[in-house]
Amino acid sequence: MKFIKCILGVVLMSLWLPVMSQAAETGSALKADVLRQEPYSDALKIGNLARGETLQILNKKGAWLKVKTTQATGWVRLLSVKRGSAALFNPVKGVWDVASGRAGTGKVVATTGVRGLNEEELKNARYNEAEVKKMEHYIQTIQEGQQFAKKGGLKAIKFPYLPSPQGGGEP
Amino acid sequence: MMRLIYLVGVVLVITVQQAAAIDFGETLKEVLKSGVEEKIAAENKETAAPQVASSENKTILNWGNPSVEEEIQIGRQITGNLLGAAPLVKDDALQKYVNQVGRWVANQSERADLPWHFGVIDTEDINAFSAPGGYVVITKGLYRKLQNEAQLAGVLAHEIAHVVRSHHLKLLQKTQLLDLGAGLLSKKIGQNHEIIEKVIGRGAEVCARSLDQSAEFEADRMGVVLTARAGYEPYGLPEVLQIIGQTAEGDNSVALLFKTHPHPDDRLVKLDEAIGDRFDAVKNGKTLEKRFYKLKD
Repeated sequence: MKFIKCILGVVLMSLWLPVMSQAAETGSALKADVLRQEPYSDALKIGNLARGETLQILNKKGAWLKVKTTQATGWVRLLSVKRGSAALFNPVKGVWDVASGRAGTGKVVATTGVRGLNEEELKNARYNEAEVKKMEHYIQTIQEGQQFAKKGGLKAIKFPYLPSPQGGGEP
Repeated sequence: MMRLIYLVGVVLVITVQQAAAIDFGETLKEVLKSGVEEKIAAENKETAAPQVASSENKTILNWGNPSVEEEIQIGRQITGNLLGAAPLVKDDALQKYVNQVGRWVANQSERADLPWHFGVIDTEDINAFSAPGGYVVITKGLYRKLQNEAQLAGVLAHEIAHVVRSHHLKLLQKTQLLDLGAGLLSKKIGQNHEIIEKVIGRGAEVCARSLDQSAEFEADRMGVVLTARAGYEPYGLPEVLQIIGQTAEGDNSVALLFKTHPHPDDRLVKLDEAIGDRFDAVKNGKTLEKRFYKLKD
């Protein structure tokens, strides 16, 4: 009996685990926005998001994410949401603040993670003709690009460049 | 051709010299100490205020407006230096795949006529680079973060936009390095083959330099449009920015990217402002996760 209970426990656990691993991804609102009932800009408004508010991401559809806040569940524009639980970037403090070494020594202090392609490596790089030739060898023609697109069912559309919201610069 | 290589070398010498306030390599220091540094400094003083001087300065070569051929040669040199720091991933199928995606996206730009080249380099660093003339490189570390072809197209489209708008070429011109370099070449450095030779071999540092933030935001705006024009879901690039934004700032793999680009959150906000509801009418954009090439390791 004890054995059966034990087996049952394991089975229940194994059923439970996938559910756990599919737990909703967390995120936070990059800006104040509106929660809507459907993923359309003219859909019914069902709530508000405050900047920095944490939420759970449940689903994605095109430019929209289905999210759950403490108050409501609804659709919000993908670009209004930052994924993950990392702290929100603070624009008040300024973008320069992000890389503390930026205006300073430029020396990046090694902390965690894999070794990056750092400035030292770039500076000491020696020109490698063989690798450039190799890279050039993979060249695709305009027509080959078109064939590749066709195979994937990609169809080119006309779409103008986006103007700069700040004004200035080329559109 | 040889003359051109000299010139690129000069550009790199001076580029590095300009960046001296940030960091300075011992080797380059040695090279520059052999008299060149003083000469450049003197030359710099003569030309004083950069903006004014650039229009008045008489160029010996036409560096203010290089031909397509010259542009490609500059880009080739920079790419060769970058590949010296990290070679291509040894996977023909992968390299061919990024060239197929990249070529199709580049076809949607105003410079489809360039001989576009794409490559994945063997480093776990998370970054992507472009050089004049149509050279685009993405790191294996960044490729590893991607989930579908639309996201790859978005990253490549951002880099293609830098090339289309000549952002790196302008960076070099803005700092007057090219004009000054041409002058130095004929007057002084031309005699000292050894110095140039030594410097050409070192110095992809130009890849570690920042563009104006406005150039990055512009490349983002153009990147999403090029992605959409190619028939992909337009949100490939913003999705990648969201993924990168999750990487801790202290992580070495994003150190250079975060140092040379606005924060991903800031880029997302700017993209959001520019996009608004403009893409709402774009339907049937593809992500093609099934076709997306999986890394072997």
